[in-house]
Parts: sequence; structure tokens; C-alpha cells
Amino acid sequence: MNDKISISKFQLYFFLIQSQLGIGILSLPNAVQSTANGDGWISTLLAGGAVQLTFILYWFLLRRFPNDIYTELTKKILGHVLGKVCNLAIYLYFILTGYLAVFLFIHVVSSWLLPLTPFWILSLLIVGSSIYLTVSDLRIIARFFVMTSFLIIILLFLSFLTFSLPKEYQFLLPIGDSGVKNILLGSNKSLFSMLGFEGFLLIFPFIINREKGVMKTITLANLFITGLYTYFMILCLASFSPHQLHQIKEPLLYLFRALSFPMLDRLDLLFLSIWIVPMTTSVISYLFFAAKSISNKESYKKTVIISGIFIYCLSLVPLDQNMEELISKYHSYLGYVIVMGLPAFLLFLSAIFNKKEGSERV
Amino acid sequence: MKSRYIIPLCVLFILLTGCWDQNLLVNYSLINGISLDLTNNDNILGTVRVLNIQSKGGGQYEIQDEQFQSTRPTFVGLESDINKMLPGKFDAKKAYVVLIGEEMAKRGIHPFLAAFYRPRESYITSKIVITKGKASDILGMEPQKSPIAFFLLQGLKSSEETTLIPEETLFTVWTKIVDSGQDVVLPYVEKIESKKMSIGGVVLFHGDKSSGISLPKEQSTLLLLLMDKFKKVSNMDLILVENSKPVSITFRTERLNRNLDLEIDESAQRIICKLNLKMDIQIRNYLEETNQKINIDQLNKDLSTELTKQAKEVTDTLLKANCDALGIGRRIASFHPELWKKMNWNEEYKNVQFEPDIKVNIIKTGHVF
Repeated sequence: MNDKISISKFQLYFFLIQSQLGIGILSLPNAVQSTANGDGWISTLLAGGAVQLTFILYWFLLRRFPNDIYTELTKKILGHVLGKVCNLAIYLYFILTGYLAVFLFIHVVSSWLLPLTPFWILSLLIVGSSIYLTVSDLRIIARFFVMTSFLIIILLFLSFLTFSLPKEYQFLLPIGDSGVKNILLGSNKSLFSMLGFEGFLLIFPFIINREKGVMKTITLANLFITGLYTYFMILCLASFSPHQLHQIKEPLLYLFRALSFPMLDRLDLLFLSIWIVPMTTSVISYLFFAAKSISNKESYKKTVIISGIFIYCLSLVPLDQNMEELISKYHSYLGYVIVMGLPAFLLFLSAIFNKKEGSERV
Repeated sequence: MKSRYIIPLCVLFILLTGCWDQNLLVNYSLINGISLDLTNNDNILGTVRVLNIQSKGGGQYEIQDEQFQSTRPTFVGLESDINKMLPGKFDAKKAYVVLIGEEMAKRGIHPFLAAFYRPRESYITSKIVITKGKASDILGMEPQKSPIAFFLLQGLKSSEETTLIPEETLFTVWTKIVDSGQDVVLPYVEKIESKKMSIGGVVLFHGDKSSGISLPKEQSTLLLLLMDKFKKVSNMDLILVENSKPVSITFRTERLNRNLDLEIDESAQRIICKLNLKMDIQIRNYLEETNQKINIDQLNKDLSTELTKQAKEVTDTLLKANCDALGIGRRIASFHPELWKKMNWNEEYKNVQFEPDIKVNIIKTGHVF
């Protein structure tokens, strides 16, 4: 592959973290609470485990084709036509995910920060800046992601401040009370706020020295995200009573809202203004993955711009709560197929027919 | 070359022209205190204190503290009523204290909380205080210097530090009210003389309703110690009977170790709550005969007996008010989930047997023996 757009493992680590971390963490405790109750933290741990298994699956698949981008790999295994159909499905999945991220993003910003600013402006600013960064190559995106990762420190710092609020760890007890089924349903929810890791499939061939150490990097990234999510789950579970968690849409923001200092108030608004950046990085990475999944080197920029405009137009369609839930539901089905089903199927086929890098030439 | 920049520049100008969400301070009336009362014919009387800031030029401001009132059958509509009277827009972003009248609190305070925690702009760390008598009377007072809300806020904060009243904000009250396994206790203020007020103690709640039973200062401190809510210091005054003579003593608790154990006998349906308290105290004042050293061992014993007796009174009052301030229900739900699901805690709580035991240890006697 072209060396010009390669990234180091260090950058890969932050790339994965930034694609995963974003809007999801704000509402995660509420989403998981609806089923798992006090055992929500087990759900996030399980979801982290599921991500790790998926990474192992990806690793086995990609090891067979270390120099091919994922979209060429589908064509090689499934044949040209079927491969293209697959890539289109992958593209649509990323567009849909990107759209949902933008949609939730502008709704949170609108309901917390800027209630009177019209949606089209918010969406334009978000999608516009995302397109601007995405048209530049992967290395620049990765550098930007590394740079913005220091904002996570702010998140952690603010979370330490919330320990001044009363905490009731008994809300977490008794452990395992909600039952296996509910905990698994909760994991399903938390898995969807951890999405973004599937982008590894598409950026794998751009990593420098990918022969060794990649698995370690992605495992560390996954450990970090799982740890962070579990930490915030426990924090929210201990700070809110179960009934409250059911009611509050964005528990994490509410937690910061309850803080008050003599010189500083409404930390939720300050935090959200800062958190706009990590939320945008998720959109950027989805736009990037989407464009990568159907374009080649020449058509990349055009695809990014068209996909961006596509997402922008979609985000302007007004949705009521039911429609939004319906879309999220179908998105989650599609997600399981694209993120886990398809790679597993490809691995299965390539193992049966023993297809590997260069085997076609032989 | 130039034409390349024209289109982006035009786009930038469009984006820069307006900000939809700007809130200028001059357009708002800052509300610093809110009070809610039940009127005689079951309507709700809302009172607000408003800070009116007027610029006199040259960076100088004139600040006026005014009062506005409105009556409605429910909480809804009070805000818009008052908004019409105000010189600027209603702004409760800095409503530091919410005073709720005694009678209103008996009806339940959750509807008001909802009005505060739902909107985006409201202040959820404000203090909730119950008033003996009408809340609007307290809010309507005119202390000389600062607005009454700031005056009250300062008093509340210092009382919190000395473990006189619990450290509760609107947010923490909400957390406790919607949890079935614990109840909240809130501070009350009362009017003394015509122009003064004093922070009394705590009102015991069951769910979101006030039980109408309150604990005065001494007992509220003891309750907070039993709840393990010890802050920096706590002072207590006691009158002991020693050698058939009354002796008064003032002491300051410096360290506290609380142990709460539940003994559950499921067959006999008995819940025994053992409360062990170890207090390290410093004597601040001890009036006794001259020329005598304090008999520390004897005093330790006497204080322990007296405080244990008082603690029993406090827990009896808790049972009478059906107020689970110690969170016994939460404990049962956590450690005995089977039992918790079976029982009706609202009824069952009355049958809990408290066995408080307080051990006092004098560690300092001040600068004299």
C-alpha cells in the first residue's frame, strides 16, 4: 500500500478510542438501566468482552490478507458482483451510523446548549467540519484524533469532582439481581454505544509494521473503552436512584449539572461544549469508513463530499420518537450483520476454500 | 485568485451574522429565592425575590431586591404569572433557596421538584428548606444588608458544616424521594420575633410528604450522627445529673465511628437494628464545683448513658414519623433481596426495633484539666 497514508500503532490506538467514544457515553447509563438495572456495569463488561471476541475474529480474517483493504477482500472471497453488493451494504451501514450519530448529536446540543438555534445550522457546522477533515488523508485524521484525546482527561477530571456528591453504592447490590437475560439485553445496548471498533477492518492495511503488536494495541484500546464505560456506569448507578436513571435521558450530563462550586456552576454546559469535539470525531470516522468502503483512491474525495451531503440532508428530516426508535432498531440488526455476521461468514468461507493473500495468482 | 475566496467568505458572513441563543443579563430578572405556600382555600401561593440590576454607568450598578407574588390552584402557571409582573424575563437560573411552607410540604414536594429538574436552565443545586408557618413570611423579611436568600443560604451552609442540618440539594432530595428504601430529612427555619429567623432543626419526611414531625437542634445533630453524616465538627450542649446535681456540659465531636447492623429474624418477622456509635469528643465547657479535676471515666459513662437515652428518643420519633432516614430499607433491599420483595416497607418499617448504643470517649479537655 501507499506509504503516504500510513498510521502508527500509537495513532491506531487513539483512532479506535475516538471513533468509539462520543455521544453514546452520555446516555449509556439510561439505555442500559431500562433492562439491567443495578447490574448495568456487568453489561458493559460483557459488551467489552464481545468487542474483544470480534477483534479476534477480525484478526484471523485480516491475517489471511494482510495487504488488502477490507473492500477488496470481500470481492476476493465472494466474487466481484457479490463483493460489491456487500461493500454497498457496508457503506449504507456506516452512513446510517453516521447519520444516527449526527442526529443524536444535534438533538443533545439543541436540548442542552442551544435550544433556539435551528437544526440546519447545527448540522451544517458539524457535517461541514467533518467533511473538511475527512477529505484530507488518514494520517491527518489520525493526528487530529491523537491531539483531541487529551479531552478525555477533562472528562476524567470532571468525573473525579462528582465524588463530592453523595454516593450510594448499595444501588449496585445485590449483584446479579436482574437476571442473565436482562444483563445480556443491557450488553446489547452498551455494545451499540461502543460501535466504531469495526472501522479496524478498514484501516488495518494502513498500519505501519502490522506484522506484530497490532492485536496488543487494539486490545489495549478496547480495555480502555470498556474500563471507561464501566467506570461511568458505576458512577451513575451509585449517584442516581434506579427510578431516576430511568427518567434522565443523559445521566452523565446530569451528574455534572449537580455539581456546584463558588466560582463555577453548570459544569454540564461547559462539559458539553468541550465534548462536542469527541462527538464530532465519531462522525468523522464514520464518514471516513463509509467513503473508504466504496471508493478507490481517485474517487475518495468525491465520495466523502457526497456522503457528507447525504448525511446532512438525512439529518434535516424531522423524526418523532417512534421513528427514531424504529431506525435505531433496524440499525442494530444491520449492525450485527455487518459488524459480526459478515466478517465471520468471510472467515468461514476463506478457511474452507483456503483463500489467502496471493492465492489467486497461484 | 481573488474570486476563489469570495464564495467561502460569503458563507462565513452568513454564519457569523447571528446567534440565536444569546441571553443578555440586562433582559432578565434574576430570581434568588422562591417560596411556596398553601393558602386557606387550597391554592398555591408562589413568592419570588428578584434582584433588579440597573446600570448607573461607569461600571456602577444599583441593585434592588423586590418581591412578587401570585396565586394559582396548582404550581402550573405561577411562573408565567410572575413573569408578566417582572421588568425582565423570569430567570430562575440562580434561585439559591426554595422555601416550602409547612402545610404545603405535607401535601408532597415532588411536583415542585419536577418543575425544577426538568427544564434545561433551572438550578438543581439549590437548597430546599421547610418553614414553620408561612414560607412567604420568611422570604418577605428585609434584613439590612444582603437579600434574604443570600442571608439564609449562608446560615444553611454554616449549619451544614457543624452537622446541624443535612447537606441536601434539590438534586439529592430528588434522588432520595424516588427511592423507596430511604427517606429524606430536610432543614426547617422558623421566624423568631418579628424580623429575625433561625434555623431550627430537621423535618422528617416519608416519601415526598412531610410527616409534620420535626426534631429540634440537639436531636437533629444526634440524628445526623446516627446517619453517619458527620461533617467537620458538631457541637452539643447537655445537662447531666451528676451526684443528684445538674451539671451542664458543652462538647464538640471530633471523630465518629458508626456501625449499623441488622439482625433479621424471618420466622418471627423481627428486624433489629443495632446502632453502635463511638464518639471522640472535646470538652468545650463544663460547669462544676471549684477545685476539682474532671473525673473523665465517670463523665464518659454518664455522657454515654445520656446520649444513648436521647438516641433512643430520636429513633422512636423516626418510627412515629414513618421516616426511614437511616436507609434501613435500602440495606434490606441490598442484602436480603428476597425478603425485600415480599414485604411492604411502608407498613413494615414501624416494626423495626432500634437498639442504639453510644460510647463517648473524651480525648481533649481544652486548655485546662
